[in-house]
Parts: sequence; structure tokens; C-alpha cells
Amino acid sequence: MDTHSNNGHERGLSRREFLKAAAITGGACALLGQIPGALQAFNQAMAAGESAFFEAQPENQLYTVCLQCNTGCAIKVKLLDGVAAKIDGNPYSPWTLWPHPAYDTPVKDMATTEGAICPKGQAGIQVAYDPYRIVSVLKRKPGTKRGAGQWETISFDQAIQEIVEGGDLFGEGNVEGMRAVRALTDAELSNEMKAAVQKILDEKDAEKKKELVKEFQTEFKDHLDALIDPEHPDLGPKNNQFMFVWGRMKGGREDVVDRFVKEAYGSVNMNGHTTVCQGSLYFTGKAMSAKWNAAKGAFDSGDKFYWQAETGNSEFVIYVGSNLFEAGYGPPQRVPKATDAIINGRKFAVVDPRLSKLAAKAWKWIPIRPGADAALALGMIRWMLENEKYNAAYLALANAAAQAAAGEPNYTNASWLVKIKDGAPGKHLRASELGLLTPQTVQKDGKDVTVYVDAAGVEFPGDTPVALVGGVPIPINVLDPKAAPVMGDLLFSGKQGEFQVKTGLQILLESAQEHTTAEWAEIAGIKESDILELAAEFTSHGRKAAADIHRGPSQHTNGFYNNNAWYIVNLLIGNFDYKGGILKLSTYDRKGSKKGQPFPVTKMWGEEEMHPFGVDMLRTNTAYEKTTLFDGAYPTKRPWFPLSSDVYQEDIPSIGDAYPYPVKILMTYMSALPYSLPGGQKVIEILADMKKIPLFITSDIMVGETSMYADYIFPDLSYLERWEFHGSHPSVPWKVENVRQPAISIPGWPTVKVYGEEIAMSWEALLIAIAEKLELPGFGPNGFAEGVQYIRPEDHYLKQVADIAFGEKEDGSDSVPEADDEELRIFLEARRNLPPSVFDADKWKAAVGNDESLWRKTVYVLNRGGRYEAFAKGYKGDKVAHPYGRLVNFYQEKTATTINTMTGKPYAGYTRYIPAGLSSIGEEIPHDGYDLHLITFKAMTMTKARTISNYWLLSVLPEGYLLINSQDARKLGIKDGDMIRVSSASNPEGAYDLQNGKKHPIEGKAKVVEGIRPGVVAFPLGFGHWASGASDIVIDGKVIKGDPRRAVPLMANGAMQLDPVMGNVTLSDVAGGSAVFYDSMVKVEKV
Amino acid sequence: MAESEKAPTTRRDVLRGLGGALGAALAVGALGRRPAAEGEALAAPSRPLADAHPQAAANAAPLTSDPLAQEDVLVRMERELTRALAKPREQRRWVMVIDLRKCVGCNSCTVACVAENKLPPGVVYRPVLEEEIGTYPNVTRKFVPRPCMQCDNPPCTLVCPVHATWKNEDGVVVVDYDQCIGCRYCITACPYGARTFDFGHFYTSGTPQGVPSLLGQDAADDYERLANAEYGESWPRSGGDESPVGNVRKCHFCLHRLAEGMLPACVTTCIGRATLFGDANDPDSLVAEMIAKPNVMRLKEEMGTAPRVYYLL
Repeated sequence: MDTHSNNGHERGLSRREFLKAAAITGGACALLGQIPGALQAFNQAMAAGESAFFEAQPENQLYTVCLQCNTGCAIKVKLLDGVAAKIDGNPYSPWTLWPHPAYDTPVKDMATTEGAICPKGQAGIQVAYDPYRIVSVLKRKPGTKRGAGQWETISFDQAIQEIVEGGDLFGEGNVEGMRAVRALTDAELSNEMKAAVQKILDEKDAEKKKELVKEFQTEFKDHLDALIDPEHPDLGPKNNQFMFVWGRMKGGREDVVDRFVKEAYGSVNMNGHTTVCQGSLYFTGKAMSAKWNAAKGAFDSGDKFYWQAETGNSEFVIYVGSNLFEAGYGPPQRVPKATDAIINGRKFAVVDPRLSKLAAKAWKWIPIRPGADAALALGMIRWMLENEKYNAAYLALANAAAQAAAGEPNYTNASWLVKIKDGAPGKHLRASELGLLTPQTVQKDGKDVTVYVDAAGVEFPGDTPVALVGGVPIPINVLDPKAAPVMGDLLFSGKQGEFQVKTGLQILLESAQEHTTAEWAEIAGIKESDILELAAEFTSHGRKAAADIHRGPSQHTNGFYNNNAWYIVNLLIGNFDYKGGILKLSTYDRKGSKKGQPFPVTKMWGEEEMHPFGVDMLRTNTAYEKTTLFDGAYPTKRPWFPLSSDVYQEDIPSIGDAYPYPVKILMTYMSALPYSLPGGQKVIEILADMKKIPLFITSDIMVGETSMYADYIFPDLSYLERWEFHGSHPSVPWKVENVRQPAISIPGWPTVKVYGEEIAMSWEALLIAIAEKLELPGFGPNGFAEGVQYIRPEDHYLKQVADIAFGEKEDGSDSVPEADDEELRIFLEARRNLPPSVFDADKWKAAVGNDESLWRKTVYVLNRGGRYEAFAKGYKGDKVAHPYGRLVNFYQEKTATTINTMTGKPYAGYTRYIPAGLSSIGEEIPHDGYDLHLITFKAMTMTKARTISNYWLLSVLPEGYLLINSQDARKLGIKDGDMIRVSSASNPEGAYDLQNGKKHPIEGKAKVVEGIRPGVVAFPLGFGHWASGASDIVIDGKVIKGDPRRAVPLMANGAMQLDPVMGNVTLSDVAGGSAVFYDSMVKVEKV
Repeated sequence: MAESEKAPTTRRDVLRGLGGALGAALAVGALGRRPAAEGEALAAPSRPLADAHPQAAANAAPLTSDPLAQEDVLVRMERELTRALAKPREQRRWVMVIDLRKCVGCNSCTVACVAENKLPPGVVYRPVLEEEIGTYPNVTRKFVPRPCMQCDNPPCTLVCPVHATWKNEDGVVVVDYDQCIGCRYCITACPYGARTFDFGHFYTSGTPQGVPSLLGQDAADDYERLANAEYGESWPRSGGDESPVGNVRKCHFCLHRLAEGMLPACVTTCIGRATLFGDANDPDSLVAEMIAKPNVMRLKEEMGTAPRVYYLL
């Protein structure tokens, strides 16, 4: 490895001349004579007049994917002399045209067609060409504190040497490097230890558990020093003390980080940021999709996902805290459908304390009290149930056989009987408990297997749940579509055998009847007529109505239950998988896990990979009660999150508390933890503490709010220069995959050498260089297999593109066409300005195994920026073509049997109203003197943390503000435009402590409006930066001035309520994992 | 083309119209594809758009229950544009229709226009005005994009002391940057505030320069210095005072894009599909249909400006 020239300033003399080249001729004149032979003809042709306006030429267009927000719109980058001159929508993609044109349209014919993208997407150019982007590795200046803003440049090689080998790196004493922390290096041994630890976890008896720990210590006596704590082998090896945390990462890079952290380095600790966005939405989806395991007669985990409304065909939508004109995955693909709805009389209502842009266009705006979303839903549910406005025929379908018989796309457990213990719903009643089934041992494939048999001798694969059919209890063969269909009675409360039982629907009814609709309205702070009108309208469109939920209901302490209530509203009309109802996303397999796909890339290992094990830092992968840490005591020091994962707000505070163990090396990526998290000032305190985090490495495109506290910052590529697979969103019915690929390269961008190969300085370069130094499996000349290298970033990503191109049928019949010669020519010419470190046609072809046919198919996909199923294929009749298609958990047994470690009690497995704003142990939090309810929103021009560098966007909205209703403003003597400060019981000073004596005030201008619920104040995320070019830093002794345009207020996350129990973290939804943005009470004062 | 290579004699012709001089300015491209008859209007793009979109033909069978969703209006308008460009210029009438019911105030158009025309700080062709109406809880927000109205009786052109601005034969009010002396009378004269002055600023001004570890302004401002293609010419921005620095600038319906069969940047990127564009003289065009709706209006019509931008309420 060694670093090559690089500072971005060694540019040809002709740069200005280059730029003077005519936009009309695509710069052909200026380029003539400067471009290698192969492209001469093209440039001559352009000069000769075969083309005119550069934007109209396919050779000046590269298709990739936006990353200004997570909507991930497919884009077309238009290049002039290799500079990104303009960005438009990729016309092949359903994100930017509705309907989207045929995928097999030749790229040449799409040259002048553009889809629509949002202002952030347009301004993405300014992310790539940001003067504050770093082009050298920066190291915290020895002798200065973290966050002091003092940096030294250091060569890439030296930096890799230091982070891997450690040493006295800062004159503060020895720091363990990545080699030392990777104590366990033997893959086989890791596998053996992992199995032994699993045995310990699975042992239920406390004494026997202790025995197993002793056995472990004996068996692995020579390797105990590789463990974090030999007394607790289930914490895993020291390798786990390396933790990787990311903010925004998508497929591809996510697959690489999995490879690097888990199977190569051997740590279990890699965590995303899900809970800072809408985590509880994902984990409600996970709970509701928990899978019945027929052999076990119990539930396995569900999928981390969620459902959204099919905006394009819904006749009525209730958008609950879902702001699709400004965010919500997202504007370009959903807005045209919603505005079409406006014109064509397809109504929608908006439930939001703030009059969002969407609410301004709505049939009805319901300015609900923050956090009372479930109250409104339960009011509607009560009305729907009592007025029999629910789809009883659908809800009665109790198994896959009934689903098949009815021709439905899915079914629920609404009729399954649930045992009531001490008044609380618990497990489903099992058929064997009523004596309906008895276990028998039979021979199958030469093995003894336990099956369950009913009185008539009918065999079931395991114990089953039970439904009443006409009052008679029947065992339910849940999964077998050829079994007896069961249409269960929906309402029952009473005894079956010795058990007090209720159906799922009965439990819901009783929960909804805890209050009258008038009372529910009062709790929600709305009019009863609102509930009744919404319910009546919602039940007037068959299955073409939907409640679309997002961040609004999710980011409360009760987010999981808010979301569940709204999903149940949907389920009552049976709209899952229906056109105009709610649906899940569908993507092409990018991991090659389908039979016949050319590269099962995540499973391709040249030598044996590590088998990471142990409790993760966020306590999500193992139940507390199974671990050796369990001592019967509740609450635990910090919550365990058995129902969620990627609990972003817990990353740094858990390190701060060294719970469940200390972390030695933290690596972060694209994450603005202190800035984007509520209570971020507490994150700063820990990040700045060298004792709590001995080594802090980050990869970033600039010195950002997190990386300013790092020890080393490695420059990364912007999204316009690199690879990823952006996937899809649940409101998109078509099967797709969006491919992010290098569209530009910054002239003079530094390169590094890894395994002797020159590649661009990047996040990939960082990982690959570490892998080379540590000789990690899965990287290098034999990274994928003997002779199949993983050295260049595209060695990984192009294999994935090839998998997508091949499709999902073993015989290849699902593959895309091969690019013809003309398309291949356009492919090559469009990349003429990319340097060989980024684009080398031979090396790219080699990455897909030098298979000409596969290569041309790969090119076909790259030429279109992804793969998009034909418009008509998204639907089958009145249903979506790619259904969720299985059991939806109306009642959640798995949730009901999971312990909340902060209370010691199980979570509720049914839809209920729990007040918002409670502490982690479920107690109310006093807020005397803080009377305004603080919430956040997205302004269309800003993403949470990364658009402040986009001056075009700042010219539209130059600063943030605090929205306040005129009634509140009058009371407080605040006028529009007044400077105000926001403070709270958690942050009475109303300022961030940035450490090193620096403070960042939580101050900004008031914007007095009518369009917000009185008593609620709100600010748009994205402003109020203190890094990312907003403040001065020093590099190699030279002061770099911050740009005041980036420092404009307001960022008030720091005023949000901290959890009073832990003190160093925001409030959380302990069930769904969400970081809480909407349950803080604040004071607003004029300054 | 470098500045010095521009033929001064064609300046006014260039601006006269898509048909006349813009066609000539683009002759390199247009003629290469399809020979133009003497005096003929701009050559149509070489590619019939209907061919480019097989789905348009396939759409005979409805794809969704909603007839409007059978073809994205962007695709339809692009097709209509090709049709219009094939006509003699005097027979077409460019208009823009902005459906305020569908405008979501996203400013995509504002920023797309900045990107397309390389507009510097202070120059905005396409702002979106926002207003809150009502009292809680009976309140709404209104968004109004305000491009140049391309008035048929433009008050702005009359006040120009050097005749640098006029309504060209495509009905678009153009500015001849080489003639414009920057007096800014026209800015005052425009009742819509549609004109702004180019002071020569850069968005990246004041950002770090010459720091080896940072990209720095010097390398980061390439996109700001790229030549824009307004009026079918090449206008680089080198940092000096050459045009359009020191000129008054305004929306021109993206004439340079129209010439290529491409919709104006604000239209193509309208995520609400609120902005429509086309030839009002084509009875089958979307815009012709829309300007005949009962809810149509134009801004400050009472002034007799006869705007070519229509709004649907």
C-alpha cells in the first residue's frame, strides 16, 4: 500500500479552458486531442455535428442512484467534461416516472427523457463538489483533545499502520490497535467456541448453566485470554470490542461491512441507525410477521420490514405522521400519485400536529396530540367493530389452506384462541392442551420424528393453535395449504377445557372498548366527529383504502403500539397485499442466494471465515434471561432489546456505561450521532472521552459532527462516486433494484495501493487495507475463492450486479437481455472520464468472471442504473403481484412472551393504548415549567444531517426555525422572526456542550404560524450545524474558516428529554427501539 | 466555443427565435441529423419519441384503472413537443400551465432551473411563493411557482434603452446578453418580479482555498464555472465579468432544451406534475385542454400583459 498523488490541486493547466468548452458541444472541441485513441472517433463525431446540446447525448449520461435522502431515487447524471453538470430522474425507474417506460427501451432512445426528482436530488452535485471535503487522512493532533478541532494530515499507509498496530499514538499512552483487539483469529476455534456458548445460552437451569461455563473454561483453557470475560463466555471474544456503527448504509456496502466485521474480523458488533428514523415501524412489522414454525409449534422471528400504502391506487388514505410531500420514502415516487388523487377525487386525510404540505392538500387535517396516535386508531377500531364495518370473512381465515380456498393473498390469527392468565393475554392455546392432538413418534426418512395426531388420525407436523368453528375447538394446521381450511369464530371469551381464552379479535374489541369514541377523541385531543368521519370514510372503499404510517407515530416511547394500532386498522378491512391497500417492497436478489445465480457473494470465501459469537453491545441478539449475566434482577442497567435491533441511540451510551462490556475500538461511517440523535450532547461527552473509547476511527467525506471527535478520519467518496444497491420502499409494488455506481471522479482524487492494486481512496480502501494488513479471510487475491480476488471495490459489487442481471430463475430465463454493441459503446464512452483506478473495462469484466454474456447483461443493468420490472407486472388483478403472502399476526404471541428487562414483565402482545412520554421503566416524567411539546419535521430541502453543504438548497430555505402557533406566541410575547431559546428539564441551559469549553446554543428564530397545534412547537431537521464546515478547524497548523451559511440555526435535538433512569440517553421505545423525538416538553424564551 | 469565436453578427438572430436563429446556432447539431429546408424552423429531433417509448403504444390497453396514469404526463408532453417542433414556428404557441392544486411547494423546479442554467446566487428564474391562509384549525398553505409569464404584451421590453430584450418569434421574452448594458430598468418594469441581475457571484465564494487536505473552492467550483447553454449558446463563467455577468437574466422556457425536444427543466422535474408545457395551438395537446378548463386564470391579467403562463386553481 502506498499513497499516491493527490491533493486535488495538481490539475492540468487547461482546467479553465476545459470548462469554457461549449455546453452545446459537450466539450468535444476542448477534448479533441486529449482523449486516448478509442474515444477520438466519438469526439470527432460530436464535433462534426452528430450531437448538439450535451445533456441530450447518451454518451454524456450515467445512471446511478441519489442518496440525498433514503428514498434513493434513480437518477441520470449529465456530464460535461466529466463534471456532473446536471442531475435528473432516471426515466426507467418507477421512482421518477409514473408509469415507468419499458425497461428494454434502448438507452439511446431515453437520452432526452427525464424523470422528476426533488430539489435535494438536483443539488446533489454540491455534495460531491463540496470545498470542505477531505482528500487526506486526518489524525487528531497528538497532545490535543478529541473535538478540539486540531488535525494533522497523515499518509494513508501510516494511518493504517497506526490503527492496526496501535501504540502510543497520541502521547497519551498505549492504544490497542485492531490486531490486538482481534484476539481470536482461528476460524475453526471460533466455530467450536460459538457452539459451546450456544449450549450455555440454551440451558435453562441456572446451576447447569454454571456447570457449562466451567466446562467451557476447561475445554478452551488455552484460549481464555481471547475472551472478554472468561466468567461470561457468552459475551464472546475480545474481537467484539471492535464496534462498527453506521448512519446511512445500503446494500452492497452493508454486505461488505458484514463480511468485514463479522466473518473477517470476528466481531458481532455492527449496528445501523434504524431507530433514529422510524425503528419502531420496522420492529412492529417484525413482530407482526413472526413466522409460525409448524414443527416447533411455536413462532420464529419475523422480518425487519414494514408496510406502506399503495398511494397510486388507494381511494382513501389516512397518512399518520407520514409526510410524503417532504419525506417518507418519498416525494418523487409518491407525490405524483397523491396529486393525482387530489385531482381525481381520491381523498386523503392527514394526522399530524403540524400542517405539513401534505396536510395542506388534504380532505381533512387532524392536528392530533403528539403520541396519541393509538387513541385515534382505537376509536376508529371501536366504531368499526361495533358497527360491523370490518372484513369478517377475511379475518376468519385462520390458516394457509383457508387463505388458498378463499383466494386471498394472506391470512391472520384473529380467530386463534389466546389464553388469559391473571387477566392478561399470553400464549395461544395449543391443541394438545385440549387433548385435540396427541404426540406420536413416527419414522420419516429413516428418522424418528414427533408428529401430532387428532382423534381421526389426521397428522399434524407439530402442536397447533386452536380456533373455534361454530363453537367447536379445532386444531389449525397453519402452514399447509392442502390441509383442512379453518375459518374460525372471530369473537369468543370464555372457557375451553380448563383455560380462560379469548380470540384475538375479542381481545382487540375489549381493548378498544376501554374508552368510548368520545373519550378516545379526548385523549387524542381531537373531535369525536373526526374519528367517526375517518372511520366511515375508511370503511367505504372496500380494500382500496389504507392507513399509511411512518415516523410520526413511531418516534414515541409508545411507538410500537401506535404502529400496531394503525396496522390493525388496516387489517380490519383486509387491505394487505391489495392494490390500493398496503404492501411490502420487492427487490431482485443481490446476494446470489437464488439457485442458478452466478455469484453467491456473501457465501464466497477463499478460506474459512470467522464465526462471531457473543451478546452484542446493544443486547438485541440474545434474551437477557438466557445469558450468564441474568441474575433474576430487574431492571437491568440498560434495557435489552429483544424485539428490535440497530438501536442507534444506545450505541454510544452503552459504550459509556461499558454495558454489557467495554468497547476498545469504535469505527463509524456516515453517522452524525451527536447531531441527529435526541440528547446528542450526552453522545458527545462519551465520544470525547478517550478512556471510554480508546480508539475512534471514522470514514467521512468531511469533518462532520461525529468525525470531529474521531482520532482518524479516512476520506470517503461521495455517493456520486461510488457503489451501492439502494433497494426499494414498501410503497413500490414493482420488483426492482437500484444500482448506485461511480458517475464521476473528482479530478486528482487520491488513490491508494492495496494488494498491489491502485484504487480510489474510499471507505472500501480503508477496509481492504486493514484486511491486507491483518491478513483477514475474505479479502485479497483469494478473497472470494481460490484465484477469485477481492481487491478492487467492484470485485464485490459487480458480482452483485451480475446476480441482479441474471435474475432469480435457475435456468436464466429471468435474466435481462445482453447489451448489444451499440449499448456497449455507449457504456464505455459514458465512462471516458473515469480514471483507471475507478473504471477499467477489462477489470470490470474480470470481476464478473470474464463471461461475455454475463458481462453484457451486467452492462445492460448498469446502463439503466438498475433493474425495474415492467409496470403492468406490479399487479395481478386487484392485488399486488409480489404479496407479503402469509400469516399476519393480529395477535403477537412472541411479543407477549418476551420480557421487558426494565420492568421484568412481558410486553403486551395486542393492540392497546399506552400513554407516550414514559421513562424506560414506564413511569411518568415530571416537566414543571416546561409546557410546550417539542416535535421535529423535515423541510423538503433538508435531509436530517447531510444537506447543509448544498448552497442551492440554502438559497431556497436559508435557515431553520421554530414553528409556534400564534396563540402560544402571543402568550409568550414572541413575534415572528424573534430569536428564541429552547430549553428543557434535561437541558435547562438550552445549549449543547461540545466539550473543550465550546457551547452551541439551542437558539433560532421563531416562525409564528396558524398551521400547528397550539401547545406544540416544531423545528425542521438539518440546520444548526457546528461541524461539517460550519466552524473553524485547524489542519497542519493552518486555520480553516467555517462557512457561516452552514452554521445557521436551529438544531434543538439537544433540548429533548433524557431518560431519567439512565441519564445519558434519550427516551426510547423499549419495545420497538425508536429514539424518541416527539415526547419532550420544553420552554421557549425570547433571547 | 470560446467567447471570441462567437460571430457578433448573429447575436440578434440567435435570439430572434427557435425557428430562425436558434436553429442556426444549433445548426451543427440539427443539420447533422436531418437537413433543414431553407428558412425552415428548427429541425425536429432525429428520434420520433413515440418510438422511444414502446409503452406508449402498449398503453392502448389500460395499465391501471386510472386513465390519467396510463402514461406519465412528462412522456406525453415530450411526445407533443416533438409534434410541435415539426410544425412551422408561426403555427405553434408555447404556453405553460401550472396546476396549483398539484403544486406541493417542493422547489424542485427552482433548483432544477438553477442547475440547468447555472444560475449564481441572487439569480432566480423560478421561485415558488408560499402563503399560509386561515386561522387554526381552519388553515391551509398555498404554493405558487412564478416563472416569467412570457407576456404577449411584455412591459419589460419597452423600457430597454438598447433593445436588448424582446419577444422572439417563439413568443418567448429573451435577453441578448451581449447587448444588455445591465441598467436594470426591465427589472423594475416587470410586474411579476421575474427578472434578476447577475452580479457575478459564486455559491462557493468564501470557502477554503489552497488547503492541500481539503478539496477546496478551486477544485470544487467546476460545476459553477461550466458553460450554460442558454439561448443555444455557450456561456462559461470564468469568474470575470463576461456575460451573463452584469446582465439581467430571466426564464426563457429553456429554449435550448426545447430545441432538442426536451421539456423545460422546471417541467421535467415537477414531482407533483403541476407544471405543464406545450403548444396551445395543438388542439390535442395537454396544455390546450387545460387552458380551456373553467378554473384557469392568469396573474395580473388586468394589466393587459397577456401572460403565456396559466394557472389552474
